[in-house]
Amino acid sequence: MTAPITRGQFLSRSAKSGAALVAVSATLGQAADTAAAALPTSDTAYVRLLVGAELLASDFYSQAIAASVSGAAVTKYLKIAYFNEQQHYQSVAGILSGEGVVPAVANDITFSYPEGTFSTEQSIVEFATQLEATILGTYSGAIGQIQTTSLLTGLAQIATCEAQHQSYFAEAAGGRAFSLSFPPALTIEQASNAFANYTA
Amino acid sequence: MRVFAPGRLISVVSIFALCISVGAGGASARTARSTAKVSGLTIFAGSSMTTVLPQIDPDNTYSFGSTTTLGTQIANGAPADILMGANTTETALLYSEGYVEQPVDFTRNTLAVVVPKSNPGNISSIYDLEKPGITIDEAAPSVPVGSYTVTVLNNMGINAAIQTNVVSQETDDANVVSKVALGEVDAGFVYLSDYVTDPTQLTLITVPAWAQPKITYALAIVKNSSNQAADQQFVNEILSPTGQSYFVKDGFLPLTAPTPSISKISPLSGKAGATVTVRGINLNTATSITFPGGVPATFKIVSKLAAASRLTFVVPTRARTGAITITNPAGTATSKTFTVT
Repeated sequence: MTAPITRGQFLSRSAKSGAALVAVSATLGQAADTAAAALPTSDTAYVRLLVGAELLASDFYSQAIAASVSGAAVTKYLKIAYFNEQQHYQSVAGILSGEGVVPAVANDITFSYPEGTFSTEQSIVEFATQLEATILGTYSGAIGQIQTTSLLTGLAQIATCEAQHQSYFAEAAGGRAFSLSFPPALTIEQASNAFANYTA
Repeated sequence: MRVFAPGRLISVVSIFALCISVGAGGASARTARSTAKVSGLTIFAGSSMTTVLPQIDPDNTYSFGSTTTLGTQIANGAPADILMGANTTETALLYSEGYVEQPVDFTRNTLAVVVPKSNPGNISSIYDLEKPGITIDEAAPSVPVGSYTVTVLNNMGINAAIQTNVVSQETDDANVVSKVALGEVDAGFVYLSDYVTDPTQLTLITVPAWAQPKITYALAIVKNSSNQAADQQFVNEILSPTGQSYFVKDGFLPLTAPTPSISKISPLSGKAGATVTVRGINLNTATSITFPGGVPATFKIVSKLAAASRLTFVVPTRARTGAITITNPAGTATSKTFTVT
């Protein structure tokens, strides 16, 4: 069983490394380092998918912010979500880097969105709700399938954050902040196919 | 002289077969040059460019085949003017060995899975290729499309499972396309451009973007070519917007950055010396900002994230009221009217 990573441990690592961002990024990377010499191939594949998911999320939020069509309250949370996704990206990309694998970067993938996604605040929060549900399902599925146990706590922390995003944007879209007791976990195939809808 | 460098072994049969076809093209070109009546070049090119290159310039002699094989032939003295490879490594290797001039990247591609129109394997996702009984064709790992296939499958963690269903390995993507189109196999790994150029007999199955390798094509002029000026003219033609448009039309990816767009300029007015912020997409690759009359403005890229890029510029002293244009290597974005106060 893996020990949970507390805020105190985060801050401790931050002090050692000298930068909070580095500490967050290092969390999963260090976990990978302390795992077996190399991640199983299936784990590396899952992490690649998560890197792609985080790039999509970052791209979406950056475009949503740049569209400048949302009110102050939603814009505030779009910016927070964007910041979170950037940190998540650095964290999961750090796992690959720790394995000697070059992670995908923003310019490697061209994303596409349904027409009108960034037209109004309503269209943005509705898409955000859908996207976050997919990302949450992806992380839930990953937690169920990844064999390297030292990664699981960090992935669960990210999943929790994604659930918070989904909850906020679902309510902002006029829906319920939460409802399902067990939101669905996606297989890697389901998640991959879902994300394929948003790549050019 | 290199004959069979380590890791570059190709079946004797495939080399022999390609030598025959290439030899014919090379002889034709040499004859043409000796008479000084034809300016045609002999271009060795990866088979994924079989359709696009004759569209760009039909007056050359093209020999299509595996990039790896063509590179080996050039190293062994085959009479080519230019090598256009489906990767960057072959031209780089030839360059390091002194056979070609400095390589130049000229286009990109993506890997794809194709199935026959009838789709007998009932394949709708790349993961379906793991199902027992599915028959798959792929290129040999020694050629670019084959190595990209291995990379994708390793990236997805399904290489071992897929390989149990691979029934044949080809010398290039063209042979994979043929076998799939004929229904000899349930699926095959090819380039997206292979599908785009002839979609009538094939159905496309997307390879996920998160697992895609970086597929960049590079060309290089052969040092022994006696047509160096014409070679360079051809290279310029390939890199020109017109040449690039042919590649994009046939399913290749543009080499240059995506075009810029402006979402917001703040403020939309100001006097000379004022600093103005521009937000938009792909502004991180901006190369110039111009006011009406061609008056350039100095600028600074603040955010390099393409999808939410931001830059600032200083209103130049000779600026006039009007639309501002921001240019990057792929195109130009035009703003609303900026008022100079």
